Amino acid sequence: MTSPTSNGTDLLSAPADWLREQPGLSNRQVFRHTLARLADAEERLVLLEADLAGGGDPFAARHPARFINLGICEAAMLDIACGMAATGHVVFAHTFAPFGALRACEQVRLGMAYAQANVKLVCDYGGLSGAFFGPTHHAIEDLALLRAMPGMMVVSPADGLETIQATRALLEHDGPVYLRLGRNRVTRMEDARPAFALGRAMCLREGSDVGLVAHGEVGVSIALDVAARLEAQGVSSRVVNVHTLKPFDEEAILDTAERTRLLVTVEEHSILGGLGGAVCESVATHGLGRRVLRAGIQDRYDSTAGSHEALLERHGLEATALVEKILGALPRPRLAALAPAARRG
Amino acid sequence: MAQVSLDERARRIRRTILRLAATPTGCHLGGSLSMVELLVVLLGRVMKFRPQEPQWEERDSLILSKGHAAAGLYAALAEFDFIDTEELVQRYNSDGSPYTGHVNAAVPGVEFPTGSLGHGVGLGVGLALGHRLRQRTNRVFVVCGDGEMGEGSNWEALQVAAQHRLSRLTLLVDRNGGQNDGPTEAILSQAQLVERLRAFGWSTVEVDGHDLEALGTALEAPSDAPRAIVAHTRKGAGVPMFRGKGPHYATFNAEQLRRALASLGEVTP
Repeated sequence: MTSPTSNGTDLLSAPADWLREQPGLSNRQVFRHTLARLADAEERLVLLEADLAGGGDPFAARHPARFINLGICEAAMLDIACGMAATGHVVFAHTFAPFGALRACEQVRLGMAYAQANVKLVCDYGGLSGAFFGPTHHAIEDLALLRAMPGMMVVSPADGLETIQATRALLEHDGPVYLRLGRNRVTRMEDARPAFALGRAMCLREGSDVGLVAHGEVGVSIALDVAARLEAQGVSSRVVNVHTLKPFDEEAILDTAERTRLLVTVEEHSILGGLGGAVCESVATHGLGRRVLRAGIQDRYDSTAGSHEALLERHGLEATALVEKILGALPRPRLAALAPAARRG
Repeated sequence: MAQVSLDERARRIRRTILRLAATPTGCHLGGSLSMVELLVVLLGRVMKFRPQEPQWEERDSLILSKGHAAAGLYAALAEFDFIDTEELVQRYNSDGSPYTGHVNAAVPGVEFPTGSLGHGVGLGVGLALGHRLRQRTNRVFVVCGDGEMGEGSNWEALQVAAQHRLSRLTLLVDRNGGQNDGPTEAILSQAQLVERLRAFGWSTVEVDGHDLEALGTALEAPSDAPRAIVAHTRKGAGVPMFRGKGPHYATFNAEQLRRALASLGEVTP
């Protein structure tokens, strides 16, 4: 059975190695293992669940006294989390995004954000990752809502390593945090990357034509894919991973705007109010007059079934379509010099 | 401080509440007055706390889930030396003051910001679970309104408390029979409240919510389950001129305040 220290490799001291030994784990599973491992040294850590822990949770196995499955009652779970935090515990409350961030939204606002409780709301099924379960199990508005709450930190890790790093950082951050995960993807960025720090966006690739700004498992992987495809057509891209949506690293966005000719946001969230919204706010606030192309969920619910990939495709969240869109939107004068093939197409 | 009877404390808290109704914005008067004995017994007889050290680790906690009755809680906290009565009356609902019209946790003695209804039981369950996990014996008291029991989140949390047998958690329902838009029974009936709480696994009793001795006995009775006390009260209780039908919200002028205080036996200068 998988454990945070399987085969002698320790998740915390050698996260990349540990992840390589667990190629099939989704990021939400990586989170569970990370939390279980972190709780070895942090006795204040408590995990609350609302009947969606699944079987064999590594935290439940390792720290049964600090694992409380409350049953199907998300609103109460968030209030309970805030009450427990007031007695000195670091409370992680875990459920699906549509229930934790949306159904219990007011509990998050009052108990966590307003009271600045040391509670970490961790939700998987972010975006469309609930796929064929339908819109009841999608969360396309969560980031807009929670980002609007004063004092809330909002984090969307891009892959397994970032999930481990973010979870660890959350434990050290005193205050309310929303950690958003997907359900399915196993994204693994193997290239070297800058050090992880909450609130500081990370440049994954330098380029001068397109500024691809992304977050989360789907957003960052599509952005990297798009950058590689654009490069093949002679268009260079800067890729910035905004794993922390709030506090928002405005400097990194303005820097990207200055270094490139077109800003493109990529995220598995409504184009309204999430990363796309945040980037537009920053760019417009600073009077940059820069067009921002927002790739994301196109302000509609999808009530027909489909795979995660199929649903993303319906919204243009897929590299081929996005490349076309970007090439069509790049300011022409320099595009002519850079990519004659694309212009003819 | 010389020993002050609980009756006398209740009367002084009512006087402060009436004075808060005479501030420019007024206050939630009826529901503040109805719960005075609940707060007096809790703070004056049952709870452990240190007013000069509101975050004392061994304190018992009071969560006013019906947070619109902030005037009542603030007045009680002033009576028990957490805050200053004159400062409260001067600054209640005024610019930059912590004494907001719904309960503010910036006020010493207030554990959580409430007033959006239906949060107190869940917060109380969290405190009780947290204390238990830390092997502490602090008690937790939650005061809800009867109208507030319409909130589903309360019933979620009630189930969790019963499941985990949180015997150090006590719910007091201020059953004053009224809510914002009128009589509770006419809007969303809480008939069978005692039976429902019992069916949810709570050790439940009914008392006269203005009877200090009955409340004290109910609060001190041992229990191995979470305990609910349904306290029958009257809006505006204790102020004879209301005859137990005080207004939900009131903004007094000077003459109204004089008459209200006079009916309490006070002579204003």
